[in-house]
Amino acid sequence: MKGRVFFVVVLGFTVIPVADAGELDVFGYFEPQFIYLYQNGNSYQMNSDKLRIDLKSSASNVEFGADVIYNLYFGKKSWDILDFLPSEIVDEVPSGMRSYFRYTFNDTLYLDNVYIRISNSRIACTFGKQQISLGTGYFSNPVDVFNLKDAMDPTYEQTGHNGGRLDVMLLNRTSVMFLYSPIESDWNNSGKLIRLKVGLGHFDFVLTGYEFQDKLTDFYSVSVTNERRRLTGCEFVGEIFGLGIWGEGAYNFMETSDDFYEILIGSDYTFESGLYVLLEYHRNERGETGYEDYNINDWLRFYLGESKTIARDQLYGMISYPLTDLIGLQLMSIVSVSDGSSAFIPVIDYNIFENVDLNIMGNIYTGSEGRVYNSKLGNGVVLRARVYF
Amino acid sequence: MPRKILLIAVLILCFGVKAKEKEKKVTAEEIIETMTETLNPEQSEGVVEMTITTSSGRERTFVYKAYSKNGGEKSLMKYLEPGRVKNQSILMLNNADDIWMYFPGTNRVRKLATHAKKQKVQGSDFSYEDLGSSNEFEDDYSSVLLGDKEKEGKLCYKLELTAKENSNAGYSRLVVWVEKESYVPLVIDYYHEKDPELLEKELILSDVKTIDGIPTPMKMVMYNKLDNTETSMNFRELTYDVDLPDDLFTEMGMKK
Repeated sequence: MKGRVFFVVVLGFTVIPVADAGELDVFGYFEPQFIYLYQNGNSYQMNSDKLRIDLKSSASNVEFGADVIYNLYFGKKSWDILDFLPSEIVDEVPSGMRSYFRYTFNDTLYLDNVYIRISNSRIACTFGKQQISLGTGYFSNPVDVFNLKDAMDPTYEQTGHNGGRLDVMLLNRTSVMFLYSPIESDWNNSGKLIRLKVGLGHFDFVLTGYEFQDKLTDFYSVSVTNERRRLTGCEFVGEIFGLGIWGEGAYNFMETSDDFYEILIGSDYTFESGLYVLLEYHRNERGETGYEDYNINDWLRFYLGESKTIARDQLYGMISYPLTDLIGLQLMSIVSVSDGSSAFIPVIDYNIFENVDLNIMGNIYTGSEGRVYNSKLGNGVVLRARVYF
Repeated sequence: MPRKILLIAVLILCFGVKAKEKEKKVTAEEIIETMTETLNPEQSEGVVEMTITTSSGRERTFVYKAYSKNGGEKSLMKYLEPGRVKNQSILMLNNADDIWMYFPGTNRVRKLATHAKKQKVQGSDFSYEDLGSSNEFEDDYSSVLLGDKEKEGKLCYKLELTAKENSNAGYSRLVVWVEKESYVPLVIDYYHEKDPELLEKELILSDVKTIDGIPTPMKMVMYNKLDNTETSMNFRELTYDVDLPDDLFTEMGMKK
C-alpha cells in the first residue's frame, strides 16, 4: 500500500509539472526535541528527532502536495500508561491485561499528507490525505472529530485525513464544503460531511453536519463498539465591544449509546502593550461531573483519543507577551472545573536565527491523585528547536 | 498693436495670478485626498521585501506577495520567505476592519478581532492597520496645512493631522510632509495615542519611481523611536496595471 502511495506521489510530481511546466518546491523542517519528566520520584528523559519534508508542485489549476515525516526516538521509549493512572483505577485492571497498556515509541516514517487539488477561482476539489481542521476554538473543537488537540500544545500540527473534498464558493463570504471520508468500501459507515460558511458583518457563521462511524472501547470487557454518529454543529467568530468572541457547539445523535453535546465559547483581547489574553470554556457532556465518577473507561478513552475529556467542564486561559521582537512569553493554564485540578504551562518562544525557532515549555500539574490534572502525571520540561529549510 | 500686446500681457498676468491663487488655495483636505489616492491606486500587485532590525541590531527578512483592490480597501499578503512562515497568508477587508490569517500547516483560517489591528505584523514596526487600511488619514484625522517646507531636499506641503474624537485612530496626531510635485508623502511622524508630544514612529518614504504612470515610493522605512527598532519595506516588483478578481480576496484565494 505504501509503495502504491509513493508511486502515485512520484507520478504526480513527475508527470504534471512536465505537462504544464510547473515547479517542484521542496521545504520543511528538522525538529529535535528533548523531554525531561519528573514523576513519582523518578527522572526520565526522552528525545526525538523529527524530519518533515514538504513537496509541492503547482501547475495552473492543479496542485500536488505531500509531506513525509521521519521520527526517531531515544532515551526512555517504552512507557506504561498505568503508571499515570490513579491507584484505584490501576487496581481495577486484571493482571493478565496489564501488558496491553505498555506503549513503545518506535521510529516511524510515514506520509503525513498527500493530495491533489484541482481548482478554479470558485471551486476546489481535493483528493487524498489532507489537513482537515474545523472549528473556531483554540484549545479544543467540539465540531472537529478529525483531530484531537493536545491541550498543552494546541497549535501543534496534526496528521492528515483521507478523503475527497469539494469546496464551492457561492458568494465572496459564503462557501459550502462537502467531504467524503471512505472506510473500506462501505458507503454507510464512511464519513460524509457538509459545511456551510457565511460571513455577515464582522462575524463568520458555520453550520456543519457530519455522519461517520464512531468507535468506543469498553476496557472492562475489552470490547469495541462501532456505531453511527451524526453530528450537527454550529460555529461563530466575531467581536463585541472590541473583544474577540467565538463559540462552537455540537450535538451528537448516537446510534446505540446516549446522545451528547459539546460546547465551547471563547474570548480574547490584545492590549496596547502587546499583552494578549485568551479565555475559553469547554463543556463535554460525555465527561464526568466529579472525580469520584472517573473510571478506567474515562481515563483510557481519553488517553487513546476516543474521548476529548475526562471531566465535563474545563476552563482554558492563555496570556502571551512579546518580550522583544524575537522572544515571546506565554503562560497557559487549564482547569478541570469538575474536580478543581489544574495544569500550568509556561512557554518561551525564541526566534534565535532567521529560520530557527527555539521553544521551551514546562508543565506543572497541581491536582491530587485521582483528579484529571494530578501530580502523578509528572512535571517536566520540553525543549524543542525547529530548523526550517 | 501695442494695445493688443498690452491686453494679452494683462490677461496672462491675470491668469497667472489666478493660477497661483488656485495653487495657494489648495486645502489640507485636498492634499490628503490626493496623497491617499496616489498611495492607494485602484489595484496593485507586487513582491515586497520586509526587513526588521531589532533593538539589538539583528535582522529578520520576510518576502511576501501583496495584492490590493478598491484603492487598498481589500488587501492580501502571501508569505514566500522565510520557511517558518512560507505559504501563510493574511487577508484584510474593509480597510483592515476584518482580518483573517491562514496557516497552511493545519489548513486553518483564523479570524482576528479588530483589537489585533494595532499589533505588529510578524514583529515588524508596521501594524495590520498600517498595511491594510487605506482611508485612515481622511476618516480618522482632521488636517491643517502648516505651509510649504523643504524636507529631504524637496519642496513639500507640511500638514498636521489630529485624531478626530471617537475615531479609531492609532495615534494622537501625525505630521506629514507631502512632496508638492508628486503628492507622495516623504516623511510621516506618528505621535503617541496618549501623548501628543511623544514621537512614537517616523516613516521615511524614498526612491520615488513612476510605476504605470503613478509616482510610487519604492522604499519605506519605519523607525520606532520608543523601541529603537526599524523596519524597511522594499518593492521588488510592482504593477498597477492588473485586473485582480474579487475571488482572490476570499478564504479560497488565501489558500490558493
